[in-house]
Amino acid sequence: MQSAATEDPISRLLSVERVTKEYKTDGEPVRALHDLSIEIGSGRFVALVGRSGCGKSTLLNLAGAMDFPTSGHVLLDGIATDQLSETQLTQLRREKVGFIFQSFQLLHTLSAIENIELPLLLAGHGNPRPQARERLVSVGLAELADRMPHQLSGGQMQRVAIARALVHSPRILLADEPTGNLDTATGNSILEELQRICIAHKTTILMATHSAESASFVDTVVHMRDGHIEEIVRS
Amino acid sequence: MASLSLFSRLIVRPARREPARSLLIVLAVALGVSVVLAIDLASSAAAGSFRSSMETLAGDNDLEVTAVGGVADQIVGQLAILPYSIRVSPRIEDHATVVASGETVPLIAIDVVAEANSHKDQQAQNQNVDSRKIETPKIDGFKHINDADAIWTTRQLAGKVGDKITLLINDQKRDYTVRGFVPESAQVNGNVVLMDIAAAQNATGKAGHVDRILLKVPEQPGFDVWQQKLRAVLPSGVELNAQGSQTAANRRMLSAFRWNLGILSYVALLVGAFLIYNTISVSVVRRRADIGTIRALGASRNTILAAFLAEAAVFGFVGAVLALPLGRLMATGAVRLLATTVDALYISSRPGSLSLSGESVVLALVVGIGVAVVSALAPAREASLVPPTEAMARGAREYTIRVERTRDAWIALALALAAALAARFPAIAGKPLFGYLSALLLIAASALAIPALVFWITSVASTTLRKFMGVEAMLASRSLAGSLRRTSVLVAALSTAIAMMTSVGIMVGSFRQTVTTWMDSQLPADLYLRPAGDPSADRHPTIALDLTDRIARLPGVESVSRFRAYEIQYEGLPVTLGSAETNLSRFYQSSGFLSRRPAKDVLKELLSPDAAIVSEPFANKHHAKAGDVLTLPLGEKLVKLRIVDIFYDYANERGYVILDRSTILRYLPDPSASNLAVYLAPEADLETVRNEIKASAAHSEVLIFSNRDIRHEAIRIFDQTFAITYALEAIAILVAVMGVAGALMSIVIDRRREFGLLRFLGAASSQIRKLILVEAGLIGILSNIAGVVLGVLLSLVLIFVINKQSFGWTIQFHWPVAILLGALTGVYVATVLAGIYPARIAQRLNPIEVVHEE
Ligand SMILES: Nc1ncnc2c1ncn2[C@@H]1O[C@H](COP(=O)(O)OP(=O)(O)O)[C@@H](O)[C@H]1O
Ligand SMILES: [Mg+2]
Repeated sequence: MQSAATEDPISRLLSVERVTKEYKTDGEPVRALHDLSIEIGSGRFVALVGRSGCGKSTLLNLAGAMDFPTSGHVLLDGIATDQLSETQLTQLRREKVGFIFQSFQLLHTLSAIENIELPLLLAGHGNPRPQARERLVSVGLAELADRMPHQLSGGQMQRVAIARALVHSPRILLADEPTGNLDTATGNSILEELQRICIAHKTTILMATHSAESASFVDTVVHMRDGHIEEIVRS
Repeated sequence: MASLSLFSRLIVRPARREPARSLLIVLAVALGVSVVLAIDLASSAAAGSFRSSMETLAGDNDLEVTAVGGVADQIVGQLAILPYSIRVSPRIEDHATVVASGETVPLIAIDVVAEANSHKDQQAQNQNVDSRKIETPKIDGFKHINDADAIWTTRQLAGKVGDKITLLINDQKRDYTVRGFVPESAQVNGNVVLMDIAAAQNATGKAGHVDRILLKVPEQPGFDVWQQKLRAVLPSGVELNAQGSQTAANRRMLSAFRWNLGILSYVALLVGAFLIYNTISVSVVRRRADIGTIRALGASRNTILAAFLAEAAVFGFVGAVLALPLGRLMATGAVRLLATTVDALYISSRPGSLSLSGESVVLALVVGIGVAVVSALAPAREASLVPPTEAMARGAREYTIRVERTRDAWIALALALAAALAARFPAIAGKPLFGYLSALLLIAASALAIPALVFWITSVASTTLRKFMGVEAMLASRSLAGSLRRTSVLVAALSTAIAMMTSVGIMVGSFRQTVTTWMDSQLPADLYLRPAGDPSADRHPTIALDLTDRIARLPGVESVSRFRAYEIQYEGLPVTLGSAETNLSRFYQSSGFLSRRPAKDVLKELLSPDAAIVSEPFANKHHAKAGDVLTLPLGEKLVKLRIVDIFYDYANERGYVILDRSTILRYLPDPSASNLAVYLAPEADLETVRNEIKASAAHSEVLIFSNRDIRHEAIRIFDQTFAITYALEAIAILVAVMGVAGALMSIVIDRRREFGLLRFLGAASSQIRKLILVEAGLIGILSNIAGVVLGVLLSLVLIFVINKQSFGWTIQFHWPVAILLGALTGVYVATVLAGIYPARIAQRLNPIEVVHEE
């Protein structure tokens, strides 16, 4: 059994314990993760690398408490996600988790700054503007606050998405192929941004990617294959 | 083959994938068409059969002789002894109420013996003429013809020959014995009672008169010549017309009523059209990639256009087929309501049978397929314009249709001005065509102004909404603005339905208030009497003469004013001719006359010889004004009457000509009254006098109404009259709300990725539900705003143009605030409720699946 991406139990932010995940479809159940365990410490930048369909996104969804294992447990900051009520789960996501996606997923009816405010607003925050602006500045897009998404480039959109994912200062940022829709140069600048965030804010980042190019930006590379971990490489 | 597989790929498969969408279109068509069909069926059944029972045993004749107050018996004699071989059939045509069941049936009296004889002559003369097939059916029980109590009835009225039946005729109950049955071959619609002429004259108080003389003339030397010859021997006040001219006049009178009702029945269909347009637009947007692919594979623009129009036609066809039984069902309910209205406002009627004729089927199909295809035209054209390159374009679902809201707003303004202009034109052939044009222009203007309104309100409001109702409200208003066209069409549909409800609500409310105020000036007496039995606008049964005198002598009674009504025709339309003892009336402060002169002055003038006042509907229909001279046939003379003034009247739209009693008695000496108005002495107690009158009227079947009763009754009839319009509006609203539910459903499907994403960003599932409900609520509010504005404008057109031109009534504008507020709240709540199911679906979406990325 592969395990131990980290050493100190106190600093473990995410523990995946012998997780199996099956999807029920019309026909045979699809086994996306198979008896998988991993522990990720606070402040780490971890890349999940593997072919399409090997279970990276599934693992991210479990880590973000958006989905639950068929067997085994996922502990986020010491709390088992399958023990929580619907309300507690929402609360957990609002406080501890940020997501970014391959195709940015900005709401096209909202401006850049409004997109960034969204997690705070959904959490019932009364005046999210200053915090959102601060995040926008930190990703270097201060002057684009009122642009609508369709007026932004792909790289800019992903930066807005990053700012949105970080606006509520989550403990963990889950990124599903964040560079997948970008050219190499832009992709690298996004990875640099993530690296900077990880160091500056001690935010744990778990990133799925199908290319090994990102290895130079992260501190741990987890190779996955067919629903289980093949190898863990720490730099 | 190729086009078939195209049709299958582009149309059939998506239609099967989205059964809710297909169902919505079919239902919208079905409901809209069934309302049109129901009203068409019901109004022809309610109005089409009136009077036809009066033609019972009338046979096939050429001419009819009539006179106001009846044709004198001598004229029958004169015609009979003319040296021509003319068949002369005098008739009494009245009504009787069967006391046991309360049913009012036509009472017809014919000269049975003479009838049979002349018929034999006829046969002898025209032995080889086939066209004279209609024969007077043979009637049994002839030997009783001279018994005063002998009647013949339809089979439903009596069990067997010899049964006794009590009939109420005028204000008297009489016992009769059934001596035979009207044969089936007479094809009577409903029940009827037959009598001998002499017995009927006695019972109806028409001694010495008959109501109508039917004449059958030989074919040579021609109809016109005969008419001239006969005209020459008849007194000037006696009218000679082609048989059935009364029926024709009645039909003409009802045409405006039926026409307006028919138009109202198209409202639900119009609302449905908006929804079909919206639904097909949405599906065109969804299928853009498919369309692009098919275009890239070589399909022409026209093929795509045809495919979408064919889809609409299929939906229209299915909807129309469903509408046939549905419309038939609705018609059964509608026909009863309509029959009461026709009775109260126009003429005695009995609903005929409802029949789904081939014509109705064609109507349903044409209307159903028509509305679906026309609504699909614009989206289908849009589909045909999709370039083949669209197949490759990613993110086709993000495609939003540009709406030229500023340009549209200007066009809206221009249309509104055109509507104002159209409202100034007069009626064409009694039909307010320009009024309806004006209404249509207003609806179009509103539909075009709505995108600007929606955009403006949602963008102004989103920040405010967020403050008051949370982030969900902001997201909801943004997304409404984001898909401006979809939102606008929805709002246009719902607001049109609301506008209809508002405008008809204001019109009816104003009308009701006007009538209430009017009754204050028209009903000054304390008690009113009329013969028992169902009232109808064209029946004027009389009260026994001596009763008036007895009542006048009662202590506590100050005076009794006699009102007498006759049924007449003027310029081919039925009119009620009345006489009143105006010198006895008391007056209220309000004038009640168009001239605004005090009633006392006008009525003093009415006492002068040959003076008349006419009602407003009469004046409008016949273009009469004060000072004009009317020529009416009274008794045997043609009398010239000078119009002194025009009075407001809302009792019915057929129109009144009122003379003073002294004037009418000079021409029609029958002193009986149709109604009595009793004025009490100042100190008298209403209930005491009422009981005294009841006692002295023991031998007459009269109904006594207090002033309050009669107002109550009038308002009850009024409300009943408009019940059907409420039903029509309710269906239009139902169609609209159904459309909102469907549209919200498609919004949920189209935006599922967004909802999933929100969950990833920390939204609770209850927030997603709230988002949908707020969107539904916003659509409701926007529609209410647009609907009320449009509705008030439409109500002005309805009150001051359409109603005025169709019926000749002046209605004072009033705000029925309570009703409106209630209705609008109802619609708003219905819209939000329509969001509940889509909201639940959105709430249950699995965020992982919907945000799933390839
Ligand atoms: N919602 C789902 N329903 C059914 N099968 C799924 C679902 N999501 C993922 N899978 C399957 O689970 C496996 C892992 O998928 P995923 O985690 O998306 O892989 P990756 O992100 O590494 O490409 C794949 O075989 C995929 O087809
Ligand atoms: Mg994936």
